[in-house]
Amino acid sequence: MILLEPHNTIIRTTVLEKIVKPSALDVQFVDFDGVRFHLSTPDSKTTLLLSMHIRCWNELVQYGALDVLKREYGSLLAATAEPDYNVSLEIDLNQAPPEGEQRDDFVRKLSLLKTNAVAAPFERAFKTQKQLEANPPPEGSQSELMAIHYRDEEAIYIQAASDRVTVFFSTVFREETDRIFGKVFLQEFVDARRLSALQNAPQVLYTNREPPLELRGVPGLTLSDDIGYVTFVLFPRHFTKPDVAEATITHIQLFRDYLHYHIKCSKAYMHSRMRARVSEFQKVLNRAKTEVATTERKTISGRTMQSR
Amino acid sequence: MSLLAPIISDNGTGFSKIGFAGNSDPSFVFPTAIATRGGPSTASSRAGPPIPSKPGSLASKRGVEDLDFFIGDEAIANQKTPGYGVHYPIRHGMIDNWDHMERYWEQTIFKYLRAEPEDHYFLLTEPPLNPPENREQTAEIFFESFNIKGLYIAVQAVLALAASWSSNKVTDRSLTGTVVDSGDGVTHVIPCAEGYVIGSAIKHIPIAGRDISQFVLNLMRERGEMAVVPPEDHLKVASKVKENYSYVCQDIVKEFRKYDADPYNMFQRYTGEHTVTGRTYEVDVGYERFLAPEIFFNPEIYSSDFLTPLPEIVDGVIQQSPIDVRRGLYKNIVLSGGSTMFTHFGQRLKRDLKQIVDRRIEASEMSSGSHMRSTGVEVDVISHKRQRYAVWFGGSLLASLPEFYSYCHTKAQYEEVGPSICRRYQIFGSVN
Repeated sequence: MILLEPHNTIIRTTVLEKIVKPSALDVQFVDFDGVRFHLSTPDSKTTLLLSMHIRCWNELVQYGALDVLKREYGSLLAATAEPDYNVSLEIDLNQAPPEGEQRDDFVRKLSLLKTNAVAAPFERAFKTQKQLEANPPPEGSQSELMAIHYRDEEAIYIQAASDRVTVFFSTVFREETDRIFGKVFLQEFVDARRLSALQNAPQVLYTNREPPLELRGVPGLTLSDDIGYVTFVLFPRHFTKPDVAEATITHIQLFRDYLHYHIKCSKAYMHSRMRARVSEFQKVLNRAKTEVATTERKTISGRTMQSR
Repeated sequence: MSLLAPIISDNGTGFSKIGFAGNSDPSFVFPTAIATRGGPSTASSRAGPPIPSKPGSLASKRGVEDLDFFIGDEAIANQKTPGYGVHYPIRHGMIDNWDHMERYWEQTIFKYLRAEPEDHYFLLTEPPLNPPENREQTAEIFFESFNIKGLYIAVQAVLALAASWSSNKVTDRSLTGTVVDSGDGVTHVIPCAEGYVIGSAIKHIPIAGRDISQFVLNLMRERGEMAVVPPEDHLKVASKVKENYSYVCQDIVKEFRKYDADPYNMFQRYTGEHTVTGRTYEVDVGYERFLAPEIFFNPEIYSSDFLTPLPEIVDGVIQQSPIDVRRGLYKNIVLSGGSTMFTHFGQRLKRDLKQIVDRRIEASEMSSGSHMRSTGVEVDVISHKRQRYAVWFGGSLLASLPEFYSYCHTKAQYEEVGPSICRRYQIFGSVN
């Protein structure tokens, strides 16, 4: 598995199971970036309530998350969210589409709840870019910088310009080892673009400690060695077609988790190499014999000792 | 951030039960299997998953063989895919291949649970008599590779005891009792006193789920029922019959008579579907309904090597334990694992055990010249609804208590002390 999947596996498997055989249910689970889900059947066995708590909900609403969710889920969206959660979907299992492709699409859509919620600011930025392209702003002015504080210490910033959309990530490495791995990886992103096959990929820039120029002056940035900033420059070709735009949004959203997943994979890889090396050494040690001293031993009068 | 529920991962020889604390069922139950590139494992293969050749300088030249694997159900589905081989990293309850296990955990966390290991506490389980080195290795993987917040490694038997608290028969929440844990591969009888396993008294019984299925299959083949079933489905049909139709009877002879007197009522029909042609077939299910679980109580009907009935084993285990805990062990016999799910299993075990105990008391009363009267020993077997995933459920129960966090080893402690911090088993509920 190289790329992380965008959908939530627990929602997918549980809903598919419950459509076939409804029964009482009450489970809580999580998704990346501290998102909490609650899937329950509060009233009847055939009505599922899927609630989500996401840390940066207020910011997302400000950037139009509700509109995106309304577009995606329509009448499923509950008028009031379950207490303690930000948004709820009510799913009537009796009205689930018939088995086959339709149902798969329906369930897949449900399992993309988090992705869709976070997609809002990206879509907004893509729209702003179109507007700016149509009537260019005066020289020197900058459009709104959207900040999404999706984790306690980390944030995504999105800014649209007349010819591109820039996405900034700040990420914190709590471990010394992670930081080094992360640096190598991010450098690799910059280098990999030189390959001819990847010429169409967005440009990636990486800075450590110092925030990029665009972010200077944003309140709440901490200066520390643990923080890295990754900048993606998206050009219109990355988001004019709807399907390409969707793929772009999903991949960029999962970028942080992708990076941390691969840091962990590399560590696991290192560990297997280390284990392999240790067992090699152990083989050598097992073959080794202690050297037998062959010096001739003599008594004080000059006669040789003999062992019998 | 401690709002995020701890993750409970119970990796068994056959199946892994994984989920979040506070729920009543694990989110995922799938085989502890990993399919990697390269042939299937031989008995003594140490070689881990393939690792790419020495990295070159060009990004495009580096391989990703170490990421090319499947776990769980997907691993089994890819069993026949050319180039892949299925490995089982856990043998006899203990982790055998750490390379595979590390990758198995990696994908469990990131693909299935979709959790950030940095934000979660983990509760893992271990079999009784797990060597401390294994605990250290586990701690190393979880703290160094995954940077988890905190770790608690619990003994499976103790969690099974905790799971029995959900039964309304249990009034005092004690961690003293005998656990009868029967899964797919092997059955253990484990005595626990105040949360500690009495290691010297543990007994293993080489009869478990797999043997019961095989026994059902033998019985049905002898009667000629399996002629209509395609050969590759034989074992599957047998295990379905075992799971859906079996029960424990109180008296075999009476049960046989009942069946012979009224076969139309007692025999049942199992309907299956041919996996390739899609044609349905029907199989009669008869005596194996009560004979299947009977191999626990009369093992001689199945094997000639192992002849001691389960109640005698349980009695022997308790008799080998220190005398001051025996009453507690008799009073709280807890069932766990899928193979203890047969209806009336608990009642039968209780009845047989009670007979053994009463007979012994009577004998000692006789030999004392009938001067001393015993007050009797209370024997009780506890069955409850969560028996199948009892270990996981016990873990979920403990980890949702607020005190749980104080029993975990945290990342800071690990960095201070090193892996040896996990050598010592910290019992839940103790002072420190």
